[in-house]
Parts: sequence; C-alpha cells; structure tokens
Amino acid sequence: MALGGTIRGKATTLRLPVEADLDTYNRWMADMRVRRAHSVWHEPAMPATWKERLKETAKDKMGVLWSIDVAAGLVGLAAGSFWSVTESGFTLRHFLIDPDEWRKGHGFDEALALHRYLFDYLDLKRCGVEIRGDNAAGLRIADRLGYVEYARGHEVHYRDGVYVDEVQLFMTKETWHERWGATEREYAPLAADATR
Amino acid sequence: MFGPKLAGLNEVSLVPPTLEHFKLHLVWELQPEVGRFLGPRFGEATPERQEERFKKTGEDQTQIQWTISYQEEPVGYTGIFGIDWVRRDGESGIVVGRHDLFGRGIASEAVRLRTDFAWRELRLHRVHNWIALANRGSRRANEKSGYQQMGVYRKSFFRSGEWYDEWLGEAFPHTFPDPR
Repeated sequence: MALGGTIRGKATTLRLPVEADLDTYNRWMADMRVRRAHSVWHEPAMPATWKERLKETAKDKMGVLWSIDVAAGLVGLAAGSFWSVTESGFTLRHFLIDPDEWRKGHGFDEALALHRYLFDYLDLKRCGVEIRGDNAAGLRIADRLGYVEYARGHEVHYRDGVYVDEVQLFMTKETWHERWGATEREYAPLAADATR
Repeated sequence: MFGPKLAGLNEVSLVPPTLEHFKLHLVWELQPEVGRFLGPRFGEATPERQEERFKKTGEDQTQIQWTISYQEEPVGYTGIFGIDWVRRDGESGIVVGRHDLFGRGIASEAVRLRTDFAWRELRLHRVHNWIALANRGSRRANEKSGYQQMGVYRKSFFRSGEWYDEWLGEAFPHTFPDPR
C-alpha cells in the first residue's frame, strides 16, 4: 500500500519508487531551491539511510510515496497520507518537481493525474494540502485544481532568515466532479452490457 | 519526553506522566462524553499498547506531555506534539478525561501552564491546534491563553446527524496575556 503504483498523466507518470531513485532524492533534498519552496521529505543522508527510509515507507500503512517520471526520466516525487479508517481523505504532504524542470507544466499535469486517482479511483471525500504562502506556483496549481483556503497559519516556516506563512487548503469530491468529472476519468465508462 | 511539575491555581497542576496515568487514557477516551469531540472510540486499547506508548512518549524528543492533576488526582493529559525545533512550532492538545469535572476551569489552568512553559522554558515561537468549533469550553480555555483563530475547517466530522466544524488556532509569545 505504501509505495504507489502507476498513475498516468499527459506528460508525467507517477510510478513505484525504486532504490535507483534514491541518489536523485538525496540531491533534491540538498538543493536550496527545493528547501526554500517547501519542506523536505527527509534530510540528505548516506545511501544506506535512504534505503532504510524506503523500506520503512513501504511498511507504512497510511502513507504512500510515488516517483514521478517524464519521458526523459525521473523528475519528482509525491508523498502523502490517508486520514484514518473512519475518515475518507488524503493529505498531500510532499510534492516535489526537480528545480531544473520547473515551469514546464509537469507540476499541474502530475497533480491533476494524482487527484483523478484520489477522487475518481479511490472515491475519497476530501484532500488537503499545506503550501507556503510565497510558493506562488504551488498555490496556482492548487487553485486550478479546485482547492479552497480554509486557514492561514502565520509565521509557520523558517528559512532564509525569516518566517513565512502557511496556507491550508482542501478540495472536495464534489468540486472534483464539477470541475473535472466530465473530462478526467481513470477508466472509460463500462459498456451498457458489460455486467449482464 | 515528559514535562516537569508545574504548580498552578485552583488545585490544578501539570505533572510528569506515569504508566498508571497512561493506562487511564484508555478509560477516559472510550467514554461517550469525552469522545464526542475526540477520536472514533475504538483502538488498540490494551495495557501492553499503553506501556509501549508510555515508553515511546518518554523517549520522543519532538513532544512534551503532562498529566493534568486536580486535587492531587490525575484527571486528564495535555502536551505539545510534533515540535519542529528549527521552526520552533508545535501542535498542542488537551483531554480532560473526567467528564464529571467539566466546567471547573481545569482546562483553562492547564492550558495556561502549558502555554507559559512553551514560551518561557522551551523558547517556542508558535503553538497551534485544532478544536471542534462546538467545543466551546476547550476553545475558550485556549483563547484565554492567547490562542487566536486562523481558520475554520467546515464539516470536519459527523456526529448524530450533524456536521461538526473545526476551529484552527495559533498562539505566539506576544499573544499570551500573562497575568503574573
């Protein structure tokens, strides 16, 4: 459950993370552009530590991790967690695109595919995300998807010598279906006689 | 980790938890009066699991927890959890487990002691929390110690045919009223 399977977007694909991805993960976590935009999934560490982290993630019953590919190879990762057995929801905790690949549309393409999976395939009720107040790209993607702000934490994150606010947003299944239901489906409708 | 003893007003104090206190958490949390604004009222409710939680909590460097004592009896627990020592931020929580003692100002005093400790001893920058909007007692207890609304999460959970919203609060050293 905790290592995610394939979810196809138009240009990006979320797929099962493997050990070969870990060197790149380590490089991203050490990149100050990444660290400025959002919190890291884990701090930079030795290869053995990363292997251990991947193993632990695989055992996590409520969390899921995906690697993200484009045709040229690995460009990001996404990680989040389901809420509980009584609450049907998912919080997207990490959503990272390689800084060298920013501003190519990978973020929105991958986010749309992931939310299609969460709402259209898993039939979750809500999704939540927390984004730094100055992460304009992240906030724009969330807005396009249909997220709405419900809270703003003041002076939550500290980097570069100053605090920055955190915007807390959620999106409902109803919003997904209103905005994307007509065009975004994981599978085509069943044929009329498929269950006869 | 466990917090030190903090003596408060009206016979309320915060004390380091013991294993016996942790075993009481189960008794408290599974009662309908306490569970209304809390969890699902089921879980791995065994003494062995509480012993494990007790040990983990004591060793965990990202949280600090106390038992709330009233008239020298354990009546609930409170703490600051998920502390990020770089951001100096953590999430606070409180459970008054003895519902026969609701309305006596125990939570208000416990939150005051906890919040004072966060600023004066832990040197935290911010503490935040989630409280059911309808749980006016808990919300008021936190507001008295300087928590301010930062948002409302609509339709968070469902009880007896009604949706319950949640109030999101945050506090900073400069919002603490400090009556001393």
